Amino acid sequence: MAIKINHDRCIQCVGCASVCPVMAIELDGLRMKTYPDKCINCKACIRACPANCITLIEKEGEKE
Amino acid sequence: MECDVIVIGAGPAGSTFSRVAAQAGLDVRVFDKRKELGEPVRCGEGLGEREVVAQDIDIPKQCISADIEGAKVIAPNGKSIVWKDDNTRGWVLERKMFDKWLAEKAVEKGAKIRSYTRIIDLVEEDGKIAGVKVSHGGREPYEVRAPLVVSAEGMESIVARKAGLKAISTLYDVDTCYQYEMKPYDHESLIELYFGNGIAPRGYVWIFPKADRKANVGIGIGAHLTNGEKGNGIEGADPKVLLDKFIEGHAQLKEASSLEDFGGVISVGAPIESFVRDNFLAVGTSARQVDPIHGGGIALAMEAGVMAANAAIEAHRKKDFSKEMLQPYEEKWRSGPGKKVAKRLLLRKVLESVNDDDLNHIFDNLTQGDLDNVMKGSFAGPVAKVVAGRPQLLKILGALTR
Repeated sequence: MAIKINHDRCIQCVGCASVCPVMAIELDGLRMKTYPDKCINCKACIRACPANCITLIEKEGEKE
Repeated sequence: MECDVIVIGAGPAGSTFSRVAAQAGLDVRVFDKRKELGEPVRCGEGLGEREVVAQDIDIPKQCISADIEGAKVIAPNGKSIVWKDDNTRGWVLERKMFDKWLAEKAVEKGAKIRSYTRIIDLVEEDGKIAGVKVSHGGREPYEVRAPLVVSAEGMESIVARKAGLKAISTLYDVDTCYQYEMKPYDHESLIELYFGNGIAPRGYVWIFPKADRKANVGIGIGAHLTNGEKGNGIEGADPKVLLDKFIEGHAQLKEASSLEDFGGVISVGAPIESFVRDNFLAVGTSARQVDPIHGGGIALAMEAGVMAANAAIEAHRKKDFSKEMLQPYEEKWRSGPGKKVAKRLLLRKVLESVNDDDLNHIFDNLTQGDLDNVMKGSFAGPVAKVVAGRPQLLKILGALTR
């Protein structure tokens, strides 16, 4: 699985990045950038996000 | 490019550090990834006058939105205590202006700041931190070298973590926050703080007055809580639904407009285990130097910025940026503001196990003077008063007097 950010909702507060234990999210200029390979599927970012803009999606090529 | 110190982040901690270090003659380069310093704001913008210590600066009018005389603390049952005296004055800032102004002060002393510049990685040489690799606006990365790298990155603290400092927060030790700037709101020059497990579990709702009948209306709640449905149907902390509910039930605010949405996640836990290592230090929110009761970090960041800069100046003079040379900063912080922060953390942990009925009882029995003592860390008197009428609370509040 990989994290997906809804950029229409995201307010660039970097809350997700500050609770991500593996540095799989960071602010890159004006947008949050994710590193799917690093994500360990712990969902801390989803739970903490005040804008409720993060979901988990399947990685490309990944089967359910 | 070579310099004496690289500073990551031009917020209150980074700009204060840079101002003091540059004034002493150090070649300071500051990198901030934001396109415009001060944006986006993710803060209630409150700052207590007496909290600003050891700063050789006067905050100019354009950075202050409203002057504040004190606070009104509201219990779950609506009863309030007004806390207002000579020591409770403060400001609600315009953070956009304030951060930029503070950065300009550093520039005026000789620091060089580069906006929209992200740290790609740390540069190491012979196992030691020797600089950073940066990219301006996503362009070709380049190296900047210095014997000291300072993390003033705020909550993200990614470079601090890459440098080996344990700058990571658990969900339990952070509050997730949502805030609107609203108008119109008529106020009494007091910040208003609303407590209650139904209003803001493990946190509070704040109304911070601003200029022209505006106000920051926000909420912070424990990020470990599960009051809402988040992405993929996961239960998580949803501050916005609680804030919207509060506004809907507030006679003045339910008719008001929102002019801006803000959000953020702030540490209400302990500072990180160690602020320094060879050729590296962390300062401000990056080091989790945040008040665990109110989540405020501006004053602590500025105070620590001066302490860290003084250690860096001494290290520069001795041409030795080892951990031992930077340690005085850490010791000074832990024996000063760190003690206050530790007491606030204890208070936070005790208060989070108090239910609304007990909270009402506590508010019923405390005066303005008691609140003052509580915030100063003198818990014994207020606890005795509260426990006298409700002995069973000793089990919870007793932790404050040990």
